[in-house]
Amino acid sequence: MEMLSNLSLSWLDPWLMFLTAAGTLAGIYVGAIPGLSVTMATSILISFTFKWPVNDALALIAGVFVGGVYGGARTAILLNIPGAPSAVATAIEGYPMALRGEAGQAIGLTTVMSVLGGLIGILALAVSAPAIANFALMFQSRDYLLLGLIGILLVGALSGESFAKGVFAGALGVLIGMVGLDPMTAEQRLTFGSVQLMGGIPYIAAMIGFFGVAEALVQLHNLSLPPIRQKIGSVIPGLADIRRYLGLALRSSGIGTIIGALPGTGGDIAALLAYDHAKRSTKNPDVPFGKGAKEGLVAPETANNAAVGGAFIPMLTLGIPGDAVTAVIIGALFIHGLKPGPLLLIETPHLFWFIVGNLTLANLFLLIFGLSGIRVFTKIVECPKAILIPLIIVLSAVGTYAIQNNPVHITWMLGFGIAGYFMKVFGFQVGPVILGVILGPMLDSNYRRTMIGARHDIGEFLWNFVSNPITLVLTVSFLLLLVSQTPLWQRWVRDR
Amino acid sequence: MAGPGDRLRTGSGLLFIPMKFHQSKGPGEAVFSLVLVLFSAAAFWQSYGISGFGGLTSAGVFPMLASAAMLISASVVLSRAVRSRLSEGDMAPAENPGDAPGGVRPGKVFTRDLVIVAALVAGYVAAMPYIGFVPASALFLFAAFSYLWRKGWLVSLAVTVLSVTVIYVVFRLGFQVVLPGGTWLRGVF
Repeated sequence: MEMLSNLSLSWLDPWLMFLTAAGTLAGIYVGAIPGLSVTMATSILISFTFKWPVNDALALIAGVFVGGVYGGARTAILLNIPGAPSAVATAIEGYPMALRGEAGQAIGLTTVMSVLGGLIGILALAVSAPAIANFALMFQSRDYLLLGLIGILLVGALSGESFAKGVFAGALGVLIGMVGLDPMTAEQRLTFGSVQLMGGIPYIAAMIGFFGVAEALVQLHNLSLPPIRQKIGSVIPGLADIRRYLGLALRSSGIGTIIGALPGTGGDIAALLAYDHAKRSTKNPDVPFGKGAKEGLVAPETANNAAVGGAFIPMLTLGIPGDAVTAVIIGALFIHGLKPGPLLLIETPHLFWFIVGNLTLANLFLLIFGLSGIRVFTKIVECPKAILIPLIIVLSAVGTYAIQNNPVHITWMLGFGIAGYFMKVFGFQVGPVILGVILGPMLDSNYRRTMIGARHDIGEFLWNFVSNPITLVLTVSFLLLLVSQTPLWQRWVRDR
Repeated sequence: MAGPGDRLRTGSGLLFIPMKFHQSKGPGEAVFSLVLVLFSAAAFWQSYGISGFGGLTSAGVFPMLASAAMLISASVVLSRAVRSRLSEGDMAPAENPGDAPGGVRPGKVFTRDLVIVAALVAGYVAAMPYIGFVPASALFLFAAFSYLWRKGWLVSLAVTVLSVTVIYVVFRLGFQVVLPGGTWLRGVF
């Protein structure tokens, strides 16, 4: 009974409902405007909402997350500009449809399928998370160490240009997370004697710098993208279409949920894999792929929304973020004094069921907003970059300062922003950095606990990684992940 | 036009960087990788300084592991950048505007826009502790709008006033966020 009341909390409380609706609507726009990203919006939002009650903050953030993942599809279809990386595949099929005057159909179909995918992802979250959390109680520190490393490496391996760049970004994040007083021995680490640094580098400053300012600076290269206008037409998709693509949508949701649930991989990878699946599994599309095949539109859009629910699974059950946005949300939970991990579900089940109910509500609003207000929408997306970029920078400054009212943090944020700009320009993803910052202290303490458990004996330490079935599975996955990135392995795969 | 296959391994962060770019990013990539190698080496030296090779669970072990991983991966990136420069010569691949919604053109890392906006941001952050958030933001926004938008100073001024008002109302009055105050105009902003 208590579960039901928490599940329906945001459905019954008008204020929470309003926050979810506002978040979803804002998320759709943020996701749609190229240069504004969901990760950017959530990291800035967290700094403003940290004084709010945790439910209010989560309602707003969940809305932005759900809306933002979907919003990227809009500009992908209308302007051939993916508003977010997860909409890259959508642009390949959606834009040709828009050119044929079928933009309305494309938007309608993506909306319905996104909501379907979103709901399936949430269902998977509701069903599997409690079981995983119970299972995770058996995990030991070495398992967390491996899970964390796998998460960072997966992001590095799948998302960037090269594995080496991904590893560098992840390790840099871990190093940033090490700055400050060592929690075990209180020794100073990389503080250079500065009192400011003893408390560590504030991760909100790192997030906003890497995701806000860096992105704004990169967008300076795209100041003059000409707006293109499309005829939209009716957006309510036909039942025949929905029925026809239901099978594909369900399979894509499965892909999305699983990819989302893998630590470190999120909607963008899920979308591309689902697109690939659609291409392989559709033998005779009405329209060839690349020319506006609806299969290629349905698959990535269902998958990236299903990945939202999936990404919450490792975050809530293991304390390991499923993607960049959940890495930011985990930061929000820390700020609210919560410790994501298996005990979160056992000690505060009400929070878990609240999140599940709230994500479902956000999907309902997605359906409503998605099928209405498209004409107003196209106007807003045309907001010039020349106005957006300075505003993002000002908002980043406010957000960074809001957490601890420390002006030094703004300087930090700016430094991270400039570093992030260069990293992005040279093909280093910044997602692994943030994952590293969040996971670094956890990796450090779990490594040391494992080593102390092995009585400082390297032989026993290594033996621990193969002597237990759970750990062995994780060790093998970790090693496979490493081996699959070596040139030797890739040459072998290519030759076969 | 790059095929979908080329796009498969792209950004999880935020930015969509098309695969074309990593083939050559102009002379900058090698220099940047070299900077990263040096930075990683310095980080390793600093991490070593925490507690040396004293024990397997001392405070410095994990920072050393992290900076060693940085050093190795940065060296790999550097060696690849140097090798690809040697094999490709100085020609960056031709730009294909349709492929790059959000990407950065090779060889254009330090654009004039970037240098000017970065200077404005630095000035903004430096001025904030003295004149306070609201005046500093107004000055920054006005300067940035005037430079980037070029619609005349009156339009820039109007948008600036509107933006600062909205930000103040939403964040100071709505979200109840404390905005940075200035030492010069204490009590005013």
